[in-house]
Amino acid sequence: MKFSFTDEQNMFRETVRELFADRCPPDAVRQSWDNDDGRVPGLWAALAEMGVLAVLAPEAAGGLGMNEVDLVRILEEAGYAGVPEPLVEHVAVAVPALAEAGHAALEAAIAGDSTITLNLSGEVIVGAAADAVVHRHGDTLQLVTEWQADEAASIDQSRRLGVLTDITAADPLDGADPDLAFDRAALGTAAQCIGVARRLLEATVEYVAERHQFGKPVGSYQAVKHHLANVKIALDFAAPLVYRAAWSVAHDDDPAARGRDVSMAKAQASEAVDLAARQALQCHGAIGYTFEYDLQLWLKRAWTLAAAHGDVRFHRDRVAAAIGI
Amino acid sequence: MKVVVCVKQIPDPADPGALDPESKTLVRDAKLILDESDSYGVEMALQLVDAAGEGEVHLVSMAPNNETAGLRTALAMGAASATLISDEALKGSDALGTAKVLAAAIARQEPDLVLAATESSDGYTGTVPEQVAALMDLPSVTFAKSVAVDGGAAKVQRQTEAGYDEVECPLPALVSVTAGVVEPRYPSFKGIMAAKSKPVDELDLGGLGIDAGSVGWAGAGQEIVSIADAPAREAGEVIEDEGDAYERIVSFLDDLKVL
Repeated sequence: MKFSFTDEQNMFRETVRELFADRCPPDAVRQSWDNDDGRVPGLWAALAEMGVLAVLAPEAAGGLGMNEVDLVRILEEAGYAGVPEPLVEHVAVAVPALAEAGHAALEAAIAGDSTITLNLSGEVIVGAAADAVVHRHGDTLQLVTEWQADEAASIDQSRRLGVLTDITAADPLDGADPDLAFDRAALGTAAQCIGVARRLLEATVEYVAERHQFGKPVGSYQAVKHHLANVKIALDFAAPLVYRAAWSVAHDDDPAARGRDVSMAKAQASEAVDLAARQALQCHGAIGYTFEYDLQLWLKRAWTLAAAHGDVRFHRDRVAAAIGI
Repeated sequence: MKVVVCVKQIPDPADPGALDPESKTLVRDAKLILDESDSYGVEMALQLVDAAGEGEVHLVSMAPNNETAGLRTALAMGAASATLISDEALKGSDALGTAKVLAAAIARQEPDLVLAATESSDGYTGTVPEQVAALMDLPSVTFAKSVAVDGGAAKVQRQTEAGYDEVECPLPALVSVTAGVVEPRYPSFKGIMAAKSKPVDELDLGGLGIDAGSVGWAGAGQEIVSIADAPAREAGEVIEDEGDAYERIVSFLDDLKVL
């Protein structure tokens, strides 16, 4: 049995990483905060052209017919780059839900002509930019096309939040499973957490190698090394769980096993990114707090993603329930 | 229209490079990637074929260990097929040896146009395209910043220090393109999946009909006698402004020919 990613999957990742590096550097993320829609101009169209938006749509519907194992590291790269687009919401959750429901909105969603966000547990992400919302209504999903929402406070300028106050037009998404939608959202968020944690670790290793105190790089002191080694260990334990959860969502028909694997992944990924953020800030010192320094982009993303679609406590409880303790 | 593009697969520049102390050549054991400078030629070729409304882009590459990772990137961008020449006897090839191999492989394709980068990002000899053209007896245009095909001719804007020359030459021809001639596309996911099944013709020297004694270490007309670390970066020059600093700056920039 082969556990590594295929050459093709590695190439998907490298290509997306290159796109994000070119089109979504930290300056572009900062500029998106000042835009009306909070988006990076042209990035959504480039993602559509590359095929990223169509990964989980079936080939018969014009998609690529791929699965979560193909998608997981693409979302990791989105976290690494700090992409301020609702990728998890749209690509990992809304597109497959529309496909499973056979909804006509799928075509525009994979062509990049629309952006769909989520409201599975009370919050609407990137409410200002979305054309529609996949909304949990009891044990069903709906595609909300007209709604009222109040803006909600967000510590991360790249994640504008809103709270739905009224729904005035919605289509049922019969055939789309809300529990599966939640697992997909948690998995995608876990993948982004891994990417954010990697970026925080890399940025901090680079900083402590450059920053000198008492005539030596601060990274040469054992206490600093320990902090960063602990982050590396947390990452190396969490990432395989996220990849395993991707396989479970793609291939395991047992919802209980799928939910257990996703929760193990999200709990560990949330812990890893939280640790990465704390140690990054600790090792940077005061400069890590400053608005002008880019570390804050990933710190804020870490804090929001660690809690999004279930925090550590929620997912630990879910794992405990799944294994009967 | 058939366009052949010479592509080099090189060690990832993001990884620290290493020289083999024995052979004094670049270590190429790890995975190789498409030289970024060749991605401009691939893109230019794809655009020319699109503009012609017919034809295809074929890649030619010489690499150790039957390496195809870089070729797959160019195939994912849209090239139709590739020829890869890989042979133990090619180790140590100099620029002319490489040109002999590429010329033989290109000739099999009977192209209308051959594109190449001006130089590779690891070797930097900058001589291979012209050597290939000479060996194939093709007209050669260097440093193209723009290429168009009109009838049986290539119309090229050739970059110069002062601006550019407009050059026209009959096809078939070999044109070397500068970085920035076009914006290379990102491979699409569909392209990446399709690249897996595109034909790559893998040849050795026997398959090309080349005598092993004329290439590699045996045929190299050069010898690397020693290698040394690049000198450490020196401190810059500090100019105290006594009212004439701007003249020193203008003079400095003038020497660099950026004014």
